[in-house]
Amino acid sequence: MADEDVQKTLEELSRDLQESKAKLEEAQRVAHVGHWEWDLETDVVVWSDETYRIFGLSPQERPMDLATVRAMVHPEDRDSLYGGVDEDLIAGIRPDAEFRIVRRNGEVRTVHALTSRRWSAMPGDAKRDAKGRPYKLFGTVQDITDRKRAEEALQRTQAHFREGQRLARMGSWTSDGSSCQWSDELFEIYGFDPRNRVPTTEQFLAIIHPQDRASMADAIKLMLEQERGCDVTTRIVRSDGEQRYVRCVGVRVVEQGVFKGFLGTAMDVTEQELLTQELRRERAYLTEAQSLAHLGSWACNLVTRKIFHSSDENARLYGFDPSEGAIPFDRFYNTILTEDETALRAQLENAIRAGADYDVEFRIRRADGTIRFMRGIGHHNPSQEVGEYVGITVDMTERKRAEEERERLRQLEADLAHINRVNMMGELAAALAHEIKQPIAASITSANACLRWLARDPPDLERARAAAARIEQDGNRAADVINRLRSFYKKGSAPKREIVDIRTIILEMAALLKTEGIRHSVTIHSAVDPDTPKILVDRVQLQQVFMNLMLNAIEAMKDTGGALTIAARPNSQGQIIVSIRDTGVGLPQESTEQIFDAFHTTKPEGTGMGLAITRSIVESHGGRVWATANQGAGATFHFTLPIEAEAHA
Amino acid sequence: MKSAAAVPTVFIIDDDRGMRQSIQDLVESVGLRAESFATGEEFLKRKRTNDPSCLVLDVRLPQMSGLDFQRQLAETGMQIPIIFVTAHGDVPMSVRALKSGAVEFLTKPFRDQDLLDAIQQALQRDHAAQEQQAESNDLQGRYHALTQREQEVMTLVVSGMLNKQIASEIGASEATVKIHRGNVMRKMQAGSVVDLVRMADKLKLSPRK
Repeated sequence: MADEDVQKTLEELSRDLQESKAKLEEAQRVAHVGHWEWDLETDVVVWSDETYRIFGLSPQERPMDLATVRAMVHPEDRDSLYGGVDEDLIAGIRPDAEFRIVRRNGEVRTVHALTSRRWSAMPGDAKRDAKGRPYKLFGTVQDITDRKRAEEALQRTQAHFREGQRLARMGSWTSDGSSCQWSDELFEIYGFDPRNRVPTTEQFLAIIHPQDRASMADAIKLMLEQERGCDVTTRIVRSDGEQRYVRCVGVRVVEQGVFKGFLGTAMDVTEQELLTQELRRERAYLTEAQSLAHLGSWACNLVTRKIFHSSDENARLYGFDPSEGAIPFDRFYNTILTEDETALRAQLENAIRAGADYDVEFRIRRADGTIRFMRGIGHHNPSQEVGEYVGITVDMTERKRAEEERERLRQLEADLAHINRVNMMGELAAALAHEIKQPIAASITSANACLRWLARDPPDLERARAAAARIEQDGNRAADVINRLRSFYKKGSAPKREIVDIRTIILEMAALLKTEGIRHSVTIHSAVDPDTPKILVDRVQLQQVFMNLMLNAIEAMKDTGGALTIAARPNSQGQIIVSIRDTGVGLPQESTEQIFDAFHTTKPEGTGMGLAITRSIVESHGGRVWATANQGAGATFHFTLPIEAEAHA
Repeated sequence: MKSAAAVPTVFIIDDDRGMRQSIQDLVESVGLRAESFATGEEFLKRKRTNDPSCLVLDVRLPQMSGLDFQRQLAETGMQIPIIFVTAHGDVPMSVRALKSGAVEFLTKPFRDQDLLDAIQQALQRDHAAQEQQAESNDLQGRYHALTQREQEVMTLVVSGMLNKQIASEIGASEATVKIHRGNVMRKMQAGSVVDLVRMADKLKLSPRK
């Protein structure tokens, strides 16, 4: 070969080599792969430019040795990488290692190093020591930080996804029309083992609750045949017998106008479903109850006039059809009768200002013209906005009418009772008058006859004596009538003496006459001394005494209202003294004794018997009754009852 | 009074024994006869004489009220003056009683003189009524004692006809008429034609025109 040719060949070879080296350099730079060479004898490490770059250094900025390299390896990875190097370095070098390095600026990178184990096998380059070990090693190093990070991120994402599905009890699936992929959680939800294959349609339908199986099968059929999405909630019966509700949603996946399959989720909605059913049931019960009670519930802001809630029954109460949908505040409000609205508005405004609850009554006129009585109760929670109330509306119409009817009947009864009493007393008085007049008239006539017999000449003494005898007779007869009247109570109702707690009687009578008192704005109080002993009396008669005196007191205050106070205490004479005090018109000017006489009355519709009977009863019990004028307004009636009777009991 | 033997009797009906005894005694103390009864029925059972009498009647009786008893008496044609007494009467009741012919309405107790005055008044009224009745009975008897022709002549006489006219009316001679007329005057005990006219009036004869 000619020198010239050799030279030329050498030049060409050199150029080729240069070119190859440049390409290698370029290839290493692009692939982030560097190479290295380690002379075990000299401990000199030779790096390619890219290796320098991977370690964060400028290419060939300084010579390398093992200690320098070692220092750049992440401390946590150093031991595993160089473990046992000193003893048997070659044997200790792992041909394939992944480790972290720390760059000068503190940046941590992950690299992958490959070491050739077949060094000696490489022809022409094998350099061995005395023991036949190679004294040079060659390898590559690749910066895999980015790939590593992406891998880690993916793993994290997948873990999160799995965990998320588990927590949400939601599984996912994909289908390309012929085959299906299920996430692990989907297996769990349907009660299948994730280690097994995705169940077939038949296997899948088998676990669906028999009553829901047909609808699920239909949904699957529609998906397969018509490529339609689905959203079905079905019950499943898992192998352990547990019944769960699962909602399965599938959406079509279309890429560039081509149907690719389905992407879907399945979710265990048992809790929600049961809750929903429970709510639905509760709501049905509540609606039914409201309808029965004519009671509507609502929540609104009275200031902004915004309604947050209005039950169906609430709408019905106002004469609206709940199926019409939400009814604005003003439609409700405008049904209120104008004459009631002013007062109602004032009450509501006061409540809003005070942030207080309210309880109001008002009337409304429904669209059909009927007038209804309503009661509205609103509750304001201090934590709520101003004017925000939650409450109920109750239709009071029937109750109101019943009340009015009851009041009317009660009034009628009271009137009748009074008329009866007046009539009865009138009858009694008339009968009594006749009974007494008869013997009196007879004795007067006899007296006249007697005088005439005596006036005769000569006087007829025999006849005069006979007439005088009749006078006596008829006089006694008149007295008898009166005695009979006095013993009327003893005869009319045989006295039944029993041990009675006067406190109980006072409370009973106060309760009995409460309504009568309210009607005339009279409040009834009682004050019974705790030392007041029980006494032996006729309970009914004593009740009548209280009734008479208390009715009189209420009567005396009927135009003014006032207070009726009943007090009882023992006195030092071995008696119980009872006083019934009113703040009414007071006693008549005349003698206060006279008011106890029979037929004495100052009231146009009075019988004049009340106090006479009262005195008769009290005296028959060994007591006394009298009246005194109060310092201020009104009068006080007192009566005493002996305690000593108690000892004989 | 027709005769000295005719003693006026006061009847008393009152269910109250003391009352009726005292009234009876009072009546007797002024020299009148008195009989008392507890009920109206007892009174009705007693046979009445023609002697003048009156009734003191209590308004309130057990079976029948005094006012109803008064009406019952009127319906049976028994005429007796009634004095009502009552323990408690009212104005409408007294008005009704008086309208039905009661002599007096007294309220118990009454002044004895008021009752005795009322009794006197009642007895007088009864007496007058009885006299009137007796007179009427007498007149009737005399009238019925006339012959038919005489009754006919009497009717024509009281009509103011002259004998000649009467003769022509009944188809008899004037002389015959004179005889009949004389008989009528005598039998009727009439002193004059005026007397006869008054009698005819009482007998309710309708004069011919």
